[in-house]
Amino acid sequence: MKKKFALFPGCLMPTEQYAYELSIRETLPLLDVELVDVEGFSCCGEPMKSVNQLLTLYLSARNLAIAEKHQLDVFVPCAMCHLALTECQHVLEENPAMKERINGMLAAEGLKYTEKRQVVHTVDLLHDQVGIEKIKEHVKKPLNGLKIAAHYGCHILRPSEIGRPDDSEHPQKIEAILKVLGAEPISYPQKLDCCGAPLLANLPESALTKTGQKLQAIQEQGIQGLVDVCPWCHKMFDSKQTKAGETVAVKLDVPVLYLTQLLGLAMGISGEKLGLELNLSPVEKIQLGDVQ
Amino acid sequence: MSIIDLTSMGEPQSDLKKELNDRLTKLQDEISEYCFQCAKCTSGCEAHKLLELEPHKIVALLKRGLINELVNSDVIWTCMTCQKCRERCPQRVAPVEILFALKNMAVASGKQIPGKYTGMLQSILSMGLIQDIQQTTTRSNKILKRDELGLPPPSKPTDVAKFQAGIMKIAIEKV
Repeated sequence: MKKKFALFPGCLMPTEQYAYELSIRETLPLLDVELVDVEGFSCCGEPMKSVNQLLTLYLSARNLAIAEKHQLDVFVPCAMCHLALTECQHVLEENPAMKERINGMLAAEGLKYTEKRQVVHTVDLLHDQVGIEKIKEHVKKPLNGLKIAAHYGCHILRPSEIGRPDDSEHPQKIEAILKVLGAEPISYPQKLDCCGAPLLANLPESALTKTGQKLQAIQEQGIQGLVDVCPWCHKMFDSKQTKAGETVAVKLDVPVLYLTQLLGLAMGISGEKLGLELNLSPVEKIQLGDVQ
Repeated sequence: MSIIDLTSMGEPQSDLKKELNDRLTKLQDEISEYCFQCAKCTSGCEAHKLLELEPHKIVALLKRGLINELVNSDVIWTCMTCQKCRERCPQRVAPVEILFALKNMAVASGKQIPGKYTGMLQSILSMGLIQDIQQTTTRSNKILKRDELGLPPPSKPTDVAKFQAGIMKIAIEKV
């Protein structure tokens, strides 16, 4: 059965992390997921949580109300946005007074939040909605035992009390997807370590140190590459890998791909269509045939 | 509509400050009481090794009412918001939420907002997103724009004046 979601792009994916968007738009429709582009979305609000949490809540509610206006469930590829929207639903469902207050503000744009709609992330969309069996049917070029590590990103795992796409301490859904693509997911002690991105705004050196330390650990364990599922994590591990290496004084050389890029390659889609030329880490090292 | 209205000492901020104060008092009087200083939060803290953030000490200081000291300290801005402390606390204290409240208070009190937060906020106010569309570079150093990749225009607020009017209510709303 075809599934239909509003694509909530957030800020980072549509303004710079184009490889994620390209690979999402290439792969998901082939797996019977219809992505609807909806006008008018804004920032989810999460980047402003340290400045003003009410603003975060308002922006999240605004985006949920827009999806609701179109009677659509929401697909959120960014871990940070996914947390913001899920947490907003949680707060508004638990706190009727806050819901009324937020709706009072939303009226300025003729919007209203009334009901909880489904909010999914790449990981649960692929694992739970599309399903492993269906992905398996679409694998045309298995990944030949590629030894690869998964990075989930903090915000899709915690806090579990509001419901997250995978287990907070022992997530396995990306690994399950990697296995069906023919790769060999590698377990590593630093799996739950943060990418560093949340400090990029005010402590960039520390943010890059965090990134560099995790990549260094992965490199030293002889793992062939890393997959991620969040534009912020990918910005750190891929786009800023050289800088992260300079920050921790290590020559880093770790191929980093979005899970949807690796999925697309296994489905036989060309690297060009999946935006592989936009990855700044040495993805050509993993030799998947048509990698550019 | 300016950053001042939303963040610092503009007149309406007295309401925001009062609200934050109530929240912190509640955290101090009720939530922090549950903390028995097991330091499980600190043992898993992503910012601990690197930046010496000790969430259990933040809770202890709050318990003692040292809110001003915390609000004026740079250490509250080292939290990576990884949510591990909230997830793992056996008493459900959620130091990360205390830190958000303290940072919000620092901003509402007119302390300078660190780093790029002001720029991101300005961008949200003017176009709805934390930044405008960026050019991107390929591994072979070719510069590409979003539309050259065949991607549709990004979703953003269509009526910016109305969008701003909505946000404005956060600055002027009387609690």
